[in-house]
Amino acid sequence: MRFFGLAALALLLLSVESVLVQVFGFEVTRIDVGLALVVFAALRLRVTEGALSAFAVGYLLDVITGKPTGLYPALAVLAFLLVRAAALLLDGRGRVAYLAFTGVATVVHALLALLLTWLTSRDGIGHVVSLSGVPLQVVLTVLAGAVLWPLLRRFEVAERPTQGGLL
Amino acid sequence: MLKLLARYREPLLVGVLLAWPLIGYLTRGHRGREPNVLDRAVLWLSTPVQAGLKRGIDGVGDSLRGYVALRGAHEEAAECRSALSVSQAELNALKEMEAENLRLKAMLDYTTASVDQEIVARVVGLNPSAQFLSIRIDRGEDHGVRSGMPVVTPEGVVGQVVRAVGNSADVMLLTDPSSHVAGVLQRTRVRATLSGTGGGRRLAVELVRRDQDVKEGDLVVTAGTDGIFPRGVRLGTVRSAERPSTGMFLKGTLDPAVDLSRVEEVLVIPVGMGLPEASLRGVPR
Repeated sequence: MRFFGLAALALLLLSVESVLVQVFGFEVTRIDVGLALVVFAALRLRVTEGALSAFAVGYLLDVITGKPTGLYPALAVLAFLLVRAAALLLDGRGRVAYLAFTGVATVVHALLALLLTWLTSRDGIGHVVSLSGVPLQVVLTVLAGAVLWPLLRRFEVAERPTQGGLL
Repeated sequence: MLKLLARYREPLLVGVLLAWPLIGYLTRGHRGREPNVLDRAVLWLSTPVQAGLKRGIDGVGDSLRGYVALRGAHEEAAECRSALSVSQAELNALKEMEAENLRLKAMLDYTTASVDQEIVARVVGLNPSAQFLSIRIDRGEDHGVRSGMPVVTPEGVVGQVVRAVGNSADVMLLTDPSSHVAGVLQRTRVRATLSGTGGGRRLAVELVRRDQDVKEGDLVVTAGTDGIFPRGVRLGTVRSAERPSTGMFLKGTLDPAVDLSRVEEVLVIPVGMGLPEASLRGVPR
C-alpha cells in the first residue's frame, strides 16, 4: 500500500516539478523531489517496500525525462542502498538528519548520473556543464524535503525497522 | 534451493532491482527506448496534471500582468497604432515581393513541396532531469506529432521531437549535448555545425575552418542539409569566435535565437513540410 502511495506521490511531484522549473526559467537546475522520496524510503521503510518504492520513483523519473534509458531506476536503487548504508553509521531518524541525507544524496546522485552518462554517451562530456546547477539544486531539494516531511511521515511504518544491517 | 531463495529474498530483490535497469542502460546506452504501455499510461496521467498546473499559473500571472498593463494602456495603444501603420506598409511591400517571387519561380519552373499545417503546441513542462534538456508539449500522436519533427517558434529553432505519445510529446532542446544542427552564416554563407553544450544557454559553433569569415553578431540560420530542419530558420547569433593558435577549426559560441528557458508556445513542423519521410528514419530517438 505504501509502495503505491509513494509511487502516486512521486508521479504527482515530478509533474509539478517539471512545471515549476519551467515557470522559474531554470536551465540546468532541477528540484530532485524524487530523490527526497528515495531517501525517505531508505530511512523509514522496510527493505522490500523501500527498494520497490525507490525503483518506482526512478522509473517514473526515467519515463518523464523524455528519453527512458534505465539510468534513473538504477541510480534510485543505488541511492537507496547508499543512504541505508550511511544510516547504519549515522542516526537518520529526525527531520534534520533526513534533510542532511537528502542534500548529500542530491550531490552524489548528480555525480553518478554524470559519470554514467559520460561513460556511455558520445556527447557525455557535454553534460559536465549541468553540474553548475547542482548547488542550487541541493538547496531546492532540501527545501522540498522540508515541505514534504510532514506528508511523508504518514507513510512511515508503525514500528521502526530493525537496524540489523543494510538489507 | 527454495529455502535459500527465501532466506536471501531481500538482497536478491534489491540486486535485481539494481542490476536490471543498470545492465539495460549500459547495453543500450543513451539511446533510450520506445514508450511501452506502462510508459504511455504514466505520460497519459502526468500530462493533464502538468497542463492544468501550467494553465493555473499562467492564468494568475496573466491577471496580474493585465492589471499592471492597464496603467499605461493609452500611451501603449497610441504607440501600437503607429507601429501597426508602419507594419502595414512593410506587409504591403512583402506581399509585392512574394508576388514577384512567385512569378520568378514560375518562370524558372520551380516546384515546392506540399506545405502541411504547422501544429501549434503549448509547453507544459521541463524535463525533471538536467542530464537531458527537453521540454514537454501538449500535442502528441493524436494531433499528428511524430518523433523526429522539427520544433520552432517565430523567433527561431527550439529543437526536435524525440518522443510522441497520445496527448504529449518531448522535444530535445538545441542546447542538449546530443543536439547537432547544420547551420549557415547568413552574411557569408559559411557552413557550421551547431551543437548543444549542456548548459542551457549557449551552442558551440563547430567544424568552421579558422580562416573563414566569422564575426561576433553574425546571424546563423539552418542550412537545411541535415534532413531535419527546413532551410533558413533562425538559430542564433555568434557570441564569440576565437581562433586558437593550433588546430584547423575556430572555437565559437552562439546565443540561441529563442530563450529556451522561457519558451511558452511552439510550432511543430509536420514531416510533409519539405522534409522527405526517409530523412527522418535515421533520427535518434
